[in-house]
Amino acid sequence: MTQALLEAAGIKRRLGANQVLAGVDMRLARGQGYVLSGDNGSGKTTLLRILAGLEQADAGVLQLRDERAALPRYPDAWRKNIVYVHQHPYLFHTSVVANIAYGLKARGAARERCVPEVEAAIDWAGLREVVQVPPHKLSGGEKQRVAMARAKVLAPQLLLLDEPTANLDADGRGRVLDLLASLCAEGVSVLIACHDRELIELPAVQRFHLEQGKLG
Amino acid sequence: MDLLDPTREAFALLLRGDPDLLQIIWLSLWLSVTAIVLIAPPSIALGVLLAKRRFPGQRAVMVVVQALLSFPTVVLGLAIYMMLSRRGPLGAYELLFTPTAIVIGYMAIAFPILVVFTVSAVQGADPRAFETARSLGAGRVHAAITTLWEVRFGIMAAVVNAFGRVVSEVGCAIMVGGNIAGVTRNMPTAIALETSKGDFAQGIALGIVLMALALGINIVLALLQGEGGLK
Repeated sequence: MTQALLEAAGIKRRLGANQVLAGVDMRLARGQGYVLSGDNGSGKTTLLRILAGLEQADAGVLQLRDERAALPRYPDAWRKNIVYVHQHPYLFHTSVVANIAYGLKARGAARERCVPEVEAAIDWAGLREVVQVPPHKLSGGEKQRVAMARAKVLAPQLLLLDEPTANLDADGRGRVLDLLASLCAEGVSVLIACHDRELIELPAVQRFHLEQGKLG
Repeated sequence: MDLLDPTREAFALLLRGDPDLLQIIWLSLWLSVTAIVLIAPPSIALGVLLAKRRFPGQRAVMVVVQALLSFPTVVLGLAIYMMLSRRGPLGAYELLFTPTAIVIGYMAIAFPILVVFTVSAVQGADPRAFETARSLGAGRVHAAITTLWEVRFGIMAAVVNAFGRVVSEVGCAIMVGGNIAGVTRNMPTAIALETSKGDFAQGIALGIVLMALALGINIVLALLQGEGGLK
C-alpha cells in the first residue's frame, strides 16, 4: 500500500441540529488525485476546511505523515504542507505577481528565491498574458489559475480545492484540469470537492462520496 | 451687505500670503495632523478588535463609541475643559488654552469616527481574505494585517473623515483653546471670531482655504483609491 500522507479518523462536525460530518475516515496517499463528491450541503466544503485547519471539527484525529493531531487542535505548521483553494478563489487587491508571491513572502522566502519561482508559476499556469491585469478584472478561470499558481509555488504536499471547475466554460475547465493533472504528476496530493461529472469521471483519480455525514 | 469687497479682499489676503492668515492655516493643519497621527493607530486597532473578536463588554464598548460619535462637540469640549481646568484632575499640567488642549479635543472627536469607520470596513472585509492568507502560511497577525490592507480604502476614508471633522471643528477648539491669537486660533475659530467682528475678508479667505482643503483631500483620496475604491 502507498504510504499515507494524511489520514483522518472519526471526524465529526455538527452545525446546529445538523450533524454535517458523522465520523469521516479518510486516507490520502502521496501524489494521488482524489475527488470528493456529494450532494449540496453534504459537508464536502466543511470537510475540506477542517483538513485545511480553517474550520474546527468537534472530534476526530488527523495524522499528517508521522504527526498526529487530536481535533479540534490543528498544528499551525501543517499549513506549510496543506493549501486550501476556495470555490471562488480570493485574490488580494494587489497584482497577479503579488498574489502568487504572497505565500512565499509570508513564509519569509528571500526575493531572489521568489522572483524565479513566481515567474515559473506564471508560465506554468498560462498567466503571462494577464499578468498586468488587476486581479479583480480576471475571469473566473483566470482567477482559479492564479490561485493554483499561488498554491503551486509553495510546493504543498496536499492541495484542497473546493469545486475548482464550477461555473467555468469548457476551455477554462480544461485548463484547470490540465494543471491539476500536472500537480499530481509532480507528486502533490490533490483532493477536489466537486459535482462536475468530467472531474468525477477522471480515470486517474480515486473517488470518495460523502453521504449522510460519512464517506462511501 | 456688500459681499464683493470682502471677497476681493479675501483673495488679496490669500494671494499676498498674509502672515496672520498663514499662521492660522499652519496652526490648524499642524494641530489636526498631530491629533490624527496620535489617535489613528489606537483607534484603528480598537476598531479591528471590535470587528474581529468577541469579548465581555464588547457591545457596551461599541455603544459608548457610537454614542461619542453623536455627542455635541461642545459637550466634549466642556468635559475636556473640566478635566484640564485648574481644579480638574489634569489641572496640574496647565494644558488649558494651549495647542495641546486642542489636540486632546481633536483626538476625542476623531476617536469615535476612526473606530466606527474601521469596524465597518473590517466587518465588510471578505472573510476569504483572512482564510486565504492563513492557508497560504501567514500567521494570525500577518493575516490580520493582510485583511486590513484589503480594506485600506475604508480605513483611508476613516482617516480622511476624521481629519475633515477636526480641521473644521469650532466648539471644542474655542472651549479648550480659548481662541488666542498666535497660540490657539485656528481656521474655524478665526472665522467665527472675525465674522462676529464684522471682518468678513479674513473669514472668507479662511473659508476658501477650508473648502479647498476638503476638496483637495477628497480628490487625493479618490486618486489613491483608484478603481479599488469603486469596487
